[in-house]
Amino acid sequence: MTIWWLILVLATIGAAGIAFIWLAVRVGRGGASQKSELPYADAAEKDVEHIFNDQFREELRNRGRLHFEKIIGENAMFLQQDLRLTTSQLNEYMKDEITRKLKEEFAKYEESIMDAKQLAIDSIQKTNTAIDEQRQMLSQQLTTQLQEEKTRLLGNFENNMADVVNHYVLAAIGNQIDLSDQLEYILTELEENKTAILEDIQSGG
Amino acid sequence: MAGESNSLALPLLVISPSDVSRLSRELEALDDYVHQASLRKGGEAVKLPRTSRMLDELATANNFNFLQAHDRKAAKAFLEHIRKESPVVTMSFAAEPSSAFLAKVITWLRQNIHPALLLRVGLQPTIAAGFTLRTTNKHFDFSLRKHFDEQRPLLLEKLQKAGAK
Repeated sequence: MTIWWLILVLATIGAAGIAFIWLAVRVGRGGASQKSELPYADAAEKDVEHIFNDQFREELRNRGRLHFEKIIGENAMFLQQDLRLTTSQLNEYMKDEITRKLKEEFAKYEESIMDAKQLAIDSIQKTNTAIDEQRQMLSQQLTTQLQEEKTRLLGNFENNMADVVNHYVLAAIGNQIDLSDQLEYILTELEENKTAILEDIQSGG
Repeated sequence: MAGESNSLALPLLVISPSDVSRLSRELEALDDYVHQASLRKGGEAVKLPRTSRMLDELATANNFNFLQAHDRKAAKAFLEHIRKESPVVTMSFAAEPSSAFLAKVITWLRQNIHPALLLRVGLQPTIAAGFTLRTTNKHFDFSLRKHFDEQRPLLLEKLQKAGAK
């Protein structure tokens, strides 16, 4: 079996070698046929001056110019479209950016105004509170002082009330009592204090 | 001389020390007048000038004859003694007292306190009624004002009761 397999492999390798050789021979024959075509190329090169004459070249040039112009036009159109699109996008972008920036700035501005407003409100509230406290304190002081003054005046009035009445009575009756009517009273008082007067007189100055 | 002066009486019209001084001046003037008259008309009777009622009272009360020099001298000595030795008290009243009123008061004082006592009269309308008496060392207040002051608690009590109603 192994020998058979070996023979089969050797046969295959031999067949492959034969095929390679055939191919090499075949390729060598191809180079020889190319040499046979060279006269056509030379003939074309020699005759090119007849085919590409000035008219043909002018026509080709015109065609090329037209084609070039067409391409230029198409590209210009594409460029214009791109430019418009880009401009439009740029406008949109700028608009969005400016709007966003403005919104941010307005928001900050509004925030600053709100902060300032809050500060002002706080300050006013503090001032109001201080004024209320001051007013309340002043009111209490005033009430206290008024009460003290009232108490003092009432005290003075009560203390001096007897003096006022005395003064009024004395002033009212001062000149109304005749001395002659008082003589008995005067002599009685002198009699009652006779001893004291005598002692003082006798003791001398 | 002092014993002689003690036996003399001071008339009721002579009340205050200023009355005594006035009498002394008048007596001095009289003495000068009599002396000058005797120098001008030696040996003739001298007519006395018109004298004040107080001087007349003094002469009447003490039997003085002011034509006699020794009587004038005795009167002057008496007045000098009164001015120097007599006790003086001051009484103040709410109004000006009349002469009759003062005569009654001075009578009582000279009968009960001292026979030659002099009285100085003052005026204090604020006492309303009654009088104040100031002796040498003391002050007696028998005025209505003092009485009111002493009754002040009672007045306050009455006023407070009236205010509570």
